[in-house]
Amino acid sequence: MSELFEKIATGVIEGNLDEVPGLVQSALDDGLDPTKILENGLVVGMNEVGKRFKLGSMFVPEVLRSARTMHAGQELLRPLLAEAGADLGGKILLGTVQGDLHDIGKNLVGMMCEGAGFEVIDLGFNLEPEKFTEAIKEHQPTIIGMSALLTTTMRAMGHTIKAIEEAGLRDKIKVMVGGAPVDADFAERIGADGYGHNAASGAELAKKLAGMS
Amino acid sequence: MLVNRSNYDVNDTPIFQVLTEDQIEAIYYAALRVLYETGVRVYDKEGVDVAHAGGAIVEETTEQSSLVKIPHYMVDKARATVPSKVVVTGPDRQYRMELFKNQIYYGGGSDTPYTLDPYTGERRRSTYQDVKNCARIAQALPNYDFHMSLGITQDTAVGTYDRWQYLAMLESTSKPINITAVDIEGVRDQLEMAYIRVGGKEEWRKGPIFSLYIEPVSPLSHSEEVIQKLLFCCDNDIPFVYTPCPLAGATAPCTLAGLLVQALAESLFGIVLSQLRKPGAQLIIGGLMSNMDMLSTIYSYGSPEMALLSAGYTDITKWLRVPEYETAGCSDAKLFDEQAAMEAAINIATAGLIGGNMIHDVGYLDSGLTSCPDLMVASDEIIDMVKRILRGIPVTPDTMALDVLEEVGPGGHFMEHDHTYDRFKTEIWRPKLIDRQNWENWTMSGGKRYGERVHERVIEILETETEPLLDEGMFAEMRRICELADARHKDEELDVKMFV
Repeated sequence: MSELFEKIATGVIEGNLDEVPGLVQSALDDGLDPTKILENGLVVGMNEVGKRFKLGSMFVPEVLRSARTMHAGQELLRPLLAEAGADLGGKILLGTVQGDLHDIGKNLVGMMCEGAGFEVIDLGFNLEPEKFTEAIKEHQPTIIGMSALLTTTMRAMGHTIKAIEEAGLRDKIKVMVGGAPVDADFAERIGADGYGHNAASGAELAKKLAGMS
Repeated sequence: MLVNRSNYDVNDTPIFQVLTEDQIEAIYYAALRVLYETGVRVYDKEGVDVAHAGGAIVEETTEQSSLVKIPHYMVDKARATVPSKVVVTGPDRQYRMELFKNQIYYGGGSDTPYTLDPYTGERRRSTYQDVKNCARIAQALPNYDFHMSLGITQDTAVGTYDRWQYLAMLESTSKPINITAVDIEGVRDQLEMAYIRVGGKEEWRKGPIFSLYIEPVSPLSHSEEVIQKLLFCCDNDIPFVYTPCPLAGATAPCTLAGLLVQALAESLFGIVLSQLRKPGAQLIIGGLMSNMDMLSTIYSYGSPEMALLSAGYTDITKWLRVPEYETAGCSDAKLFDEQAAMEAAINIATAGLIGGNMIHDVGYLDSGLTSCPDLMVASDEIIDMVKRILRGIPVTPDTMALDVLEEVGPGGHFMEHDHTYDRFKTEIWRPKLIDRQNWENWTMSGGKRYGERVHERVIEILETETEPLLDEGMFAEMRRICELADARHKDEELDVKMFV
């Protein structure tokens, strides 16, 4: 049993996208508890990936392959976990704010958050504040993440938070912001709950905001 | 004169080349295929219409955008009218850039959110005064040919910062400027300011005093704001830089050739659209191409790939006969340290050797987020060294000095010879801040590191009194344009103060 968990974890670390779903399926077929498969297999692997990335022995494309692998395994577990009423780590809505088409950083945050176990809904870019409020009502996320690359479009983050407040939704969600010209001070000034200085720290922040770490 | 040699080849400068003509053509035809088969996303109705009327195929139209596919003949047609030379001058016509094949001009980069304070060394949000300071330094440095802000004015209104930034630059430099703008209204206001500075619209027509920086979004996306700026520039005789910033492995293929194909397709779309709008519209294509650092995820400004890609792209633009926007004098270091000097030296030399036309981003640290006056000053000296290398080794009877060798003969010396006296100043480059003293003299002169000497020069420039470049009336008129813009856009600002 522990050998299978180890194989799943190693599969995630090595990004064996073709093998891990099969391993997860055999674990399920063996009658193993989905929560255990997640926690002792997939998550163990992804935690190791996080460690190695911090140490500089794994690189972004490898981390993303691992995250995809983890995600593929998790998709098999998700319905079972939901059925069992387990905590799935929450939902994140991501988007680049109004006036801004730059989305590479936001995309990277999304992939990192998926690797951290979140369900990520990517709203895209150039999003008016109303797009965020509508999506919050529709998807009921734990967190929304906003991205901007320009100082002029950074203002839209403030406008969006205001729109969320006016829609009476602010206390239902946590707000995190990021993007090259954004900093922690600005995040505080506009009333966000946190600022991620890069994609990995964004994913860590999301875990913190969701009470997962 | 007795002619007794033939087929004699001369290098007036050293020759550096990354791509052969065959490789360039392979990339060019691949880019044409991307334009026709993959297409580009255009987020501007007017731009889509212009392309469509010119023969483009328009597909997948949504509320926001269309996929635009460009047949090859449209590119051929555009290439027939796109100028191979673009000239931008300073307002007093004293400084000028003649951008065409193999001409090199160095200058700053624009719009960094942060600057390193020249007095405290602190990294902080840049202000109007910082932009003025950097322009003042650019004005003082002989190897700076044009200027870009090297800071966003963040103590002014956010949505109309571009006008203030231009004003700050005009206060301190009379070199050609490459401006940025929030939108076309921002371009229009700055154009009005330029008319005031240069002495009217007719003077502008004789020679524009700024170019506009326009940046399509990679991969293959052209936003509404970008297209509107492009069309406005065509309509108003404003030269513009059309520069995507593809990032290998992130917003472009990881392989450098693939990135060049994409970047070229992005720029060619700018060429096609501009020439459809106005045959002869002036653009400079480029220019910032690099790799994502696969650990930190930053856009690398100091990587060898950045220098190599810029150089490779320069080869392509030379073949295309379109002026090029190049990148150098920049680094990923956080301070002006050994890494900054090393990376800047490598990319400045590469850009100079390849013959990039408008070489920008001199003074950038921290992957383009922080400007650094010290790096500007050090880069000026690096550029000076590179320019010495570019003067090459002329080979003539005089420089081969056979008669001098004959005269001095074995065992003699050349120190007192007229040949040395007459030529040492032009033949041997002399440093300004680089130190070549022996140990004792260096110690006696304070034993200062290069960085300290550079910094002293920065302070010296900032504290040397200079004649104001703008008279009071002119300044007031331009300031009024900035204030009116602020008033028009007051409601778009946040209730909270965003930065300083």
